[in-house]
Amino acid sequence: MTAAFPYLSLIMLAPALGLLIILFLPHDSKRAVRWVSLISAAVSLLATLYVWQAYDRMAGGLQFVERTLWVKSLGIYYYLGVDGINLPLVLLTSIVLFTGVWTMWDLKHRVKEFFALMLLMVVGVYGVFLALDLFFLFVFYDVSLFPMYPLIAIWGSTRKEYGALKLTLYLLAGSALILPGILYIYFKSGLFTFDLVMLAKAGLAPDVQYLGFFLFLFGFGVLAGLWPFHTWSPVGHVAAPTAVSMIHAGVLMKLGAYGVLRVGMYLCPQGLIDWAPLFAILATVGIVYGAFVGLAQTDLKYVIGYSSVSHMGLVSLGLATMTLGGVSGAVFQMFAHGIMTALLFSSVGHVYDSTHTKMIPELGGMAKVQPRASFFFILAALAGIGVPCLASFWAELLVFINGFKVYPVLGTLALSGLVVSALFMLRVVQKTFYGPKNEKYAGCVDIRSSMIWPRAILAGTILLFGLLPRLMLDTITVGVAPLVELFK
Amino acid sequence: MAAKLYMFLPETAYLLMGLVLFLLSLPKEQPGGRVYVWALCLSLLGVAAAVAGLPQKGLIFFQAYRVDLYSQLFKLILSVAMFLVVSICWPLTGVERRYKPEFFLFLTTCTLGMMLMVSAVELMTLYLALELSSFSLYILVPLRSGDNIDIEAGVKYLFIGITASCVMLFGISYLYGAAHSTYLADILEKLPLWIHQPAAAIGLLLTLSGFFFKLAVFPFHFWAPDVYQGAANQVTTYIATVSKAAAVALLVRLTSLTGGTSLYLSYILIVLCVVSMGLGNLVAIVQKDLKRMLAYSTIAHAGYILMGILTMNELGYSAAVFYTVAYMIMNFAAFMVVVKLASQGQDLKISDLAGLHRRSPLLALTLMMALFSLAGIPPTVGFTGKFLVFAAAMQQGHFWLVLVGMINATISLYYYLMVIKAAYLAEPETEAPPLVIGMPTRLLNYLLIVVMAYLGIFPQQVMTLAENAVKQLIWGS
Repeated sequence: MTAAFPYLSLIMLAPALGLLIILFLPHDSKRAVRWVSLISAAVSLLATLYVWQAYDRMAGGLQFVERTLWVKSLGIYYYLGVDGINLPLVLLTSIVLFTGVWTMWDLKHRVKEFFALMLLMVVGVYGVFLALDLFFLFVFYDVSLFPMYPLIAIWGSTRKEYGALKLTLYLLAGSALILPGILYIYFKSGLFTFDLVMLAKAGLAPDVQYLGFFLFLFGFGVLAGLWPFHTWSPVGHVAAPTAVSMIHAGVLMKLGAYGVLRVGMYLCPQGLIDWAPLFAILATVGIVYGAFVGLAQTDLKYVIGYSSVSHMGLVSLGLATMTLGGVSGAVFQMFAHGIMTALLFSSVGHVYDSTHTKMIPELGGMAKVQPRASFFFILAALAGIGVPCLASFWAELLVFINGFKVYPVLGTLALSGLVVSALFMLRVVQKTFYGPKNEKYAGCVDIRSSMIWPRAILAGTILLFGLLPRLMLDTITVGVAPLVELFK
Repeated sequence: MAAKLYMFLPETAYLLMGLVLFLLSLPKEQPGGRVYVWALCLSLLGVAAAVAGLPQKGLIFFQAYRVDLYSQLFKLILSVAMFLVVSICWPLTGVERRYKPEFFLFLTTCTLGMMLMVSAVELMTLYLALELSSFSLYILVPLRSGDNIDIEAGVKYLFIGITASCVMLFGISYLYGAAHSTYLADILEKLPLWIHQPAAAIGLLLTLSGFFFKLAVFPFHFWAPDVYQGAANQVTTYIATVSKAAAVALLVRLTSLTGGTSLYLSYILIVLCVVSMGLGNLVAIVQKDLKRMLAYSTIAHAGYILMGILTMNELGYSAAVFYTVAYMIMNFAAFMVVVKLASQGQDLKISDLAGLHRRSPLLALTLMMALFSLAGIPPTVGFTGKFLVFAAAMQQGHFWLVLVGMINATISLYYYLMVIKAAYLAEPETEAPPLVIGMPTRLLNYLLIVVMAYLGIFPQQVMTLAENAVKQLIWGS
């Protein structure tokens, strides 16, 4: 189905247009820069909502397809489309971008460059989610990664230069595996096309799939925070400024999992079957490891960073089950975790901005000082633990049920990881927001009313999909069902 | 006859340009700015002549000189690059005042030599053209004013260059022995039958050495760091851009003589390619001087270009040509920043870049773009170049080579990021005044940024041009 109006291009290129406008604005016009960023994010969000609403769930498959030949001699296409798998992730990106820009409204330092780089990064993120051509997917993948370096190194905090460098090198080392993988598949298929759908239809030889999946698993896996290549992630999260942490932990890490799913699993189903045990073991180790290391942290952002490692392990475990429920759960978890982490970082960002500390022992009784920030943090923390009626609950439930079915031992271990992560999240909530008040921070202001909105949108999304999980799952299963057929 | 002269148009233009500059260099009192204006106008004329010569086709000078799309495309590339280099040569800091007219004169003869080189299809003609350009450069390197670091660089360049020439002549003698002719057309007919013989493969490899030297491929790379640092910034810019294009043109042309694959040769080239990439990237990490770092990165990029050439098929050759164009653009951008920033013509330490984003946001942006492009980050032209080269290597089944190439690209990102960090993050110890850059330079900056991004996103036209050019390589006698 070809779309009459290129909605997907609109979603992707609205930030690019915003970026171009910002480049031509004078350096001191901070207000204009903010408004341009917010408006372009809003355009993306509105277009996404339209696509979400108009996607025909009965018909399924790829919709809103845009396909133009780009480079003839190599078979490169400008090829965009949405199905049940990437639609939730595009929605996630739009929500986090919009709320992220809003959250950074009070930024003072080098405003123009900040928003320009952030929009550039988001163009890349949209591109990866929407592109169905391997060449473009890779290009967008790198575009989404390299702005992280200046974003963290300039506007970050705690060991920012180290964190930025580590993150950039790790992630681009991952892409050093992806590009050979893509070229390998391209030539082995003999089709001379980068069209993902055509390549998947062609079916590759088992030995090609074996090597191909390996490359994609570890190439994209680095970004998904797959243990033991996760170490960049807590360091990077801690160093990054609030909105960048939000987009980074909320959206960017999902690019990795999405890459494994869309490129690795879709093109090399046989490869997944061969590598699934290793994949599941690494995922489980990540879940348990992240939870235990998180237990020992005293920095709020590190806690969230390690809980992300743990939660992204759940996504990987879900993918490794190769079942309809497990993979759907993984996609749902990507969405739910994205929104939840964005809310966590957004709340912590406020606490840090007002108190200039994010060390748990120094804080205390913040619920009295900053009730609004505390409310949002606690809500997100509860979502992370998997409290029913919040979005993550359904996602985690699906992953665990199917994890048990396919890998009984690993499933049990993973569940223990979840219990530990519940423990440390509650400990953080208790020590930071309750207990004796630190008088030093008694005068710190709460989130002001206009800045509640971005957090409220995120919180509302968590509640909405927690109360009505069908809304999300119906979409996801439409996309996942044909994929799972490949593993039979 | 007139038609034949018309084929020789770009070279004629350069001959005239050399003549004018020679006359200008005669008076004892140096006219200063007038030479620059002449050089700039004449090099622009050279570009025009190269554009006019683009559709020409034919053989002249006793079949020793072939004019086709391949040669004409390279002449265009050479003349455009020459024009760009000349355009940043004022004020000509770093070159002794009394040598300024000679500076432009030898740039001209050097480019003329390279133009002759890309059209030469007879080994002796080729050798003479190569020497014309080499000797011009031997003179240009030590023209720098100030301390004697340039003399050392000049001597080093001369000795390694002459060694490479000798090795090349020796290789040519093997080729002559195998084919009983110095015409490439004859060799092209006979060599594919003989290429699996060690003598022929070694002969060809040694012949390539002269161009390995120009491209700074291992083991002919030793001159690069010293010459890059020792020569005046403008001369380094020239060596780092124009000179590379001619080398690649000839490497591709000579390698295509095998008429297909040659295992001997490709194994040796793979080794050279891997060592060049690894050595260049690893040593670049520890450099403190910006030009020295760029010199080591040049060695690494020579490795990437070689990766396209060693595939020995049209896809690989056109990828190498594309990569060369990309490399010239981004390297020129990086060196342009060096030239503009070193207002006294001095060497730049990487730490000297501190605070550049405040002193001149535009130069900082150009530098960042150029370095990301050199590192192969999309959507820049450098990425497209790397992608094409890797694709060509993968097509020939060199999976591990591609993997090594990508790992090298990641390593290189580290030291490019260090430079970007210096320009955007580091705080200078003493605040330097803002850099004032004129309108022409601003335009040049915008142009470079746009071209680097445009060719990264829309590579189709240049790719097609490179493919068509490479198709001309194989011809019947």
